[in-house]
Amino acid sequence: MGGAVSSLKTVATLCLLALSTSAYAQSKFVQSHSAMGTIYSIELYANDAASADHAMQDAFDEIDRVDDLLSNYKPSSELSRINREAPLTPVTTDPETFAFLQRSMDWSRASEGAFDITVGPLLRAWGFFFHAGHVPDESRLATERERVGWQHVMLDARVRSVAFADHREMELDPGSIGKGFAVDRVVTLLRADGVMAALISAGGSTVYALGAPPGTDGWPVIVRDPRDGRGKAETLLLKDTSLSTGACTEKYFIQNGHRYCHIFNPKTGRPMEDVLQSSVIDPSATDSDALSTVVFVMEPKAAKRLLADRPQTEFLVLRASGACDSLHWRGAICRK
Amino acid sequence: MDRRLFLQGLSASAVAAGVLPVTAAAAEAQERSEADVAKQIAASKDSSPVRIGIIGPGSRGKELVRNLLRVPGVKIAAAADVYEPRFAQLNELCGYEVAAHKDFRALIDRKDLDAIVVATPLGLHATQVLPALKSGRHVYGEKTMAYTVEEARAIREASGSKALYQVGHQYRYSPWIRAAIARVQAGEIGDVTHIAGYWFRNNDWRRPVPADDPGGKLEHLINWRLYNQWSLGLIAELGSHHMDIANWIFGANPTAAMGSGSICRYHDGRETDDNVQVVLSYPQGKRFIFTSTTDNAKMGDQLWVYGSKGSLNLTLEDATFFYEPAKVKRVATGVEKGVTTSASYQAGGEMPYRGPGKPVELKDPEDATTIAIRAFIHCVRTGDRPIADAEVGYGSALCVVQADKARRERREVEVPA
Repeated sequence: MGGAVSSLKTVATLCLLALSTSAYAQSKFVQSHSAMGTIYSIELYANDAASADHAMQDAFDEIDRVDDLLSNYKPSSELSRINREAPLTPVTTDPETFAFLQRSMDWSRASEGAFDITVGPLLRAWGFFFHAGHVPDESRLATERERVGWQHVMLDARVRSVAFADHREMELDPGSIGKGFAVDRVVTLLRADGVMAALISAGGSTVYALGAPPGTDGWPVIVRDPRDGRGKAETLLLKDTSLSTGACTEKYFIQNGHRYCHIFNPKTGRPMEDVLQSSVIDPSATDSDALSTVVFVMEPKAAKRLLADRPQTEFLVLRASGACDSLHWRGAICRK
Repeated sequence: MDRRLFLQGLSASAVAAGVLPVTAAAAEAQERSEADVAKQIAASKDSSPVRIGIIGPGSRGKELVRNLLRVPGVKIAAAADVYEPRFAQLNELCGYEVAAHKDFRALIDRKDLDAIVVATPLGLHATQVLPALKSGRHVYGEKTMAYTVEEARAIREASGSKALYQVGHQYRYSPWIRAAIARVQAGEIGDVTHIAGYWFRNNDWRRPVPADDPGGKLEHLINWRLYNQWSLGLIAELGSHHMDIANWIFGANPTAAMGSGSICRYHDGRETDDNVQVVLSYPQGKRFIFTSTTDNAKMGDQLWVYGSKGSLNLTLEDATFFYEPAKVKRVATGVEKGVTTSASYQAGGEMPYRGPGKPVELKDPEDATTIAIRAFIHCVRTGDRPIADAEVGYGSALCVVQADKARRERREVEVPA
């Protein structure tokens, strides 16, 4: 009996020792990196600076790799190659890029076009790419609308090829899903590197909470409430999930006293009105990134129908009218 | 100018001065009609099946696989590696199960492969490339071609029209580098006498190794670049690309090499130096200077090509020309206009160039590795000789191996033909 107690004590001591050399002994490290037109920042816990440095280096290298794959600003990227060649002939691409396009098309189909990675020409026409926002004339809009439409992107899974129907000069723009895709790749890589707690942020628009800081239940993530006269914000605790936000509060232009938002309704070809901000929580950062646009653009009832069967997906939409729509949302903003 | 000489990268004055490529084979290797080059580089609609075996699907190997899978008709049929986790990673990348072999010889023995990619540590290249070529398969071999001059010669001899060899010097396929070097060869910056290559990084060049590593075997396997048994260090892994470009621009291989290096920053058990310098001597007193460090990234990866009329800056993403100040010129005599006196002061002509220079404008600059791999598959299908063929690989291998020898022996060494 005495021996058993002694063994238990030994086990308990060993457990404490294990804890003290794992999570509790770890220090927090932070680093930032410019890529994909934003600043990626990572906070992570590691045993020492050298391990943290390796993990950060791996993560930022991976972000750069995804940028080289999906950037529509870099002419040498795989997506740029597809944009150039797909109007002419089916383009065979690698499985990773093809899977990215498939996921994009899945959300386009499911959202009936509320999410559409071909919307780039419209953003360009409205001057959102070069900080030169203006209302374009109708003839320009009509021309650009011809170049938009996810249903014209033909994917052939059998040979992993991409083509634009009727040789349309379209443009795949990863702006509303690419950062989430990069964050997911980083999460996979950090887990493989043995990182237990990290917060990865793509300019704040998509964040992923990997594990939780030692001794806590999750990483705090603050969601603002941009509606006039409302509460400032709420803080959510996230663990092993992502949160993406789309907002008209930072990227917009005002013409003749009217505010035009950079998030478009691909069906009307015009900026969204009334919606100020959407946030989506989902275990996949790729999905939360895409869904933050989906719920921004879709009618609230339709969005709820679409996501009702995804209990791990939560969304919140805040409108200039003061309305607040949510589904499965863990926070209390809509109840305030 | 004679087209052949133009393609060799020799200006008329250089020809007059007697600068010729050191071997006829080297000259021939550089002679490519632009039509041939364009054919290899162009996107193809040919989707006839090409079955690839890859030896060493590590980090670089996987990048090659990604690019292979962008070519219609290509299937990764088999892989060989001694590090088992690579197989699952490769399957995930391909989206299907690739036949796995722990012994590369079993992969070479397969009868269903059209070509073999070798992306293993440098010390193993010849061991795997030679039997692959001898089996009659075309080979894409990562740079540097070989660990010794003898091995490089053997690969050059084993390759031919029946078993093509393409070396992983993808910058030979880079649109902006090709366009810029064509302009240098046409005399845009005059006679080129010096080239400087910088490859600066600020990290320890280590990859993470699983904690459970009895005897440090995985450390040596995963961080092979740090150990002499497999690696010639920064000179090979980074410098070989620059040395190949110097050979390309000078139209010759060097005749002598000097080298220096030390472990200056990372005293962590590594054997290869963490900072190195190389000077290669070319005919007519021309020089290429390479310097690489691993604790400062200011210079990044770039080359400066210096000619009598200007300079060219080459990077991973672009190419930019700068021009020397205008020299004295004869003018017509007539009534003297005089000069207005002033108190102005201008810094002397020794100031470095400032300003943006003139970038090489290209409409669709594609990724160099994407093009190199597509060109390799074109050669597999057609039998065309690769742009970066065994002769190109041999040239840069000579530079690397002899520069490393000079570094070790701390003396200038001859670079054989």
